[in-house]
Amino acid sequence: MNFDLSDEQQMLVDNARRFVREHCGIEARLAAIASEAGFSRERWAELGRLGWLALPLSEEAGGLGGGDVDIALLAEELGRGLVPEPFIDTAVLCATLLEQAPPSQTRDSLLARAANGEIILALAHMEPGDRSEFETAPTTRAQPNADGWRLHGSKHFVVHGGTADYWLVSANIENQQGFALFLLSRDQASTAEIYEYTLIDGSRAVDIHLHDVGLSTSALLLEPGVAAQALEKALNRAMIASTASAIGSMEAVMEATAVHLKTREQYGKPLAQFQALQHRMAEMLVETDKARSGLFNALASLKTEDPRARRRAISGAKSLASRAALFVTAQGIQLHGAIGVTEEFSVGHHYKSALIYDKRFGDAEFHLARWAGG
Amino acid sequence: MNFQLDPQDELFREEVRAFLRETLPDDVRRRSSIGMHPPHEEDRRWWQHVLYRKGWVAPHWPKEYGGTGWSHIRCHLFEYECRMANAPELHWQGLRLIGPVIYTFGNEAQKARYLPKILSGEEQWAQGFSEPNAGSDLASLRTSAVLDGDHFIINGQKIWTSEAQFCEQGFFLVRTSNEGKPQHGISMIVLDMKTPGVTVRETPMIHGAAACCEVFLDNVRVPKENLIGPLNSGWDQARFLLANERTASAEIYKARADLRRIRRIAAAEIKNGRPVLEDSAFARKLAMLELDVEALEWSVLRVLCDAPSQYPTAANASFLKIRGSELQQQLADLAVEALGVRGLRLYTREQAFDQLGESDVWPQYVPGVAADQLYLRACTIFGGSKEIQKNIIAKLAFGL
Repeated sequence: MNFDLSDEQQMLVDNARRFVREHCGIEARLAAIASEAGFSRERWAELGRLGWLALPLSEEAGGLGGGDVDIALLAEELGRGLVPEPFIDTAVLCATLLEQAPPSQTRDSLLARAANGEIILALAHMEPGDRSEFETAPTTRAQPNADGWRLHGSKHFVVHGGTADYWLVSANIENQQGFALFLLSRDQASTAEIYEYTLIDGSRAVDIHLHDVGLSTSALLLEPGVAAQALEKALNRAMIASTASAIGSMEAVMEATAVHLKTREQYGKPLAQFQALQHRMAEMLVETDKARSGLFNALASLKTEDPRARRRAISGAKSLASRAALFVTAQGIQLHGAIGVTEEFSVGHHYKSALIYDKRFGDAEFHLARWAGG
Repeated sequence: MNFQLDPQDELFREEVRAFLRETLPDDVRRRSSIGMHPPHEEDRRWWQHVLYRKGWVAPHWPKEYGGTGWSHIRCHLFEYECRMANAPELHWQGLRLIGPVIYTFGNEAQKARYLPKILSGEEQWAQGFSEPNAGSDLASLRTSAVLDGDHFIINGQKIWTSEAQFCEQGFFLVRTSNEGKPQHGISMIVLDMKTPGVTVRETPMIHGAAACCEVFLDNVRVPKENLIGPLNSGWDQARFLLANERTASAEIYKARADLRRIRRIAAAEIKNGRPVLEDSAFARKLAMLELDVEALEWSVLRVLCDAPSQYPTAANASFLKIRGSELQQQLADLAVEALGVRGLRLYTREQAFDQLGESDVWPQYVPGVAADQLYLRACTIFGGSKEIQKNIIAKLAFGL
């Protein structure tokens, strides 16, 4: 075993940390949240120019072929700054899914444009009433006709769906087992009803109602049977990346909180001198460290061929890190005092991101049960 | 000991219930049940006026000042029933904080000037205590009031002033002397929030609204008769004000209403093909919280009925604050858990109050849950942080 970073990895981490420090402060975040998309398209393009959006993509598909460890390292740094651009949703989740489709001009060009930061992709899989992607059994239907397909159904909680240029839509095909995955561009979806709402962290999500939306034959990306497997692989990568991102967020909270405790004075001395608060900081680190070990276990499991072992390790990491993130960020607020619940301090934003992290892709309870029953 | 409610109290409870049934329209109940922070302002003012006309607006005040003369238990039953009927929450600062200070420490002119409008709700009150560098260590406050003829000239800045954007009047702790211990140089002054030099700026909070404000005081001239009690006695009044509500911070009424809300959500939401309420992990968490709430209610009753305790009353108030605030956070977390991913959506107050976008996918019980969870991170900080409460308990109960 060797836990050291390679030179390339160290460079990636250093570059990303510098970028986050210089460009991803609280003002940038507040501006992004206040914008219509909830993030910045310019920043997205910049992430593309830096090559980071191509990192998760294999070299065959025109990417940089970064390993899962590289993706986690980058995600951790982006998590420190709560970068609101959809790195995980588009560049990890959707790109991994799309990459598993058979090569075609459409597929290759989409992957290249996503990696360049030109377009946003969003996964439209969950349906009304679903609590996570794992509990989704799509009822959306795709009917074949002479021109291709007609889509009918409703999709729910499509994060970044409002600004996405393309949706990856799961749907059933009559008389076939399992769902397939279709590509739906916003231009084709002009008749779709879109209901957009804001999430607690300022990002946007949509519900989509598809009434007889026409698609060309080539819109079928992944056939029934292979789509579910491809989705599991993509979700696994997204969960690992979001876990790494949550750990970055916890690190940032501890850093900011320690600074606050050393600076803020009450009763004639810095808060840092109160033992109760020192102990709380120590507990936060213990939790963060536990989450990091869970992440390493999950990363190690990706090398095994046993899907059950992989599923368990990833669920274990998600469950550990969810609980840790909620504890660390909530205590970060507590130690900041009332300023911690204002929008102008980063710690409250980290708490909201932890809540999102916990609930997305299955919550801590779901993953604990999945780990135990796995 | 007798742990049963007096039959006369049961009748009283029925009378309150009947009144609430007749008086509260459905739309007011719905808006109140959402639990936005701050709540619907017009509803609160309307409800305060209704209670004022009924003579029930200040149950805990002495009768001579407009109270009802109810026992502590009846006040408790009244509040309980109001909450469970989803009545609007009244503004706290006038009726609960400054009102009792004025009838206890104020002179006759002050009582005549302020108390009637506190009761009617015509004037709501901003509480100017904390400052940027005086939070837990409140006595280090620096906002100054200097006597200049018949007026005080006030300069300084207050923060975390709850709902100041709605208030007509304010009560402020100000420094009037730098002699001796910091506590001994503080006075309490009331002022009209429209006085020149008073600027109120809303503080955007993580739940997407401004439940409190900063108040800037820039050469504000206030008549010297606005001083409450003797000069430099403000710390005594502040302590009285904070100690006056021994059980409020337990938030027992909100806890009961929250449990009902969680049950409603968890009965309607489906997980693995069954109501969330039937999910064993969820049911266990809910049971533990229900048990805690039940125990908290008995703790409140013990304090209300002056049950003998070997520990000082002030220590009891701190127990209730710690348990009440932690429970509120846990209840909010569980409500969000019941909602699943939909508990991640943040509604604006307008969307929530006006039922914008309500549908089968986004039913009436969704709005307000996430905002409450976020806002409640403050409840272990405001009103004396959890850490300060623990210090108080260690000191008062054990002399540590």
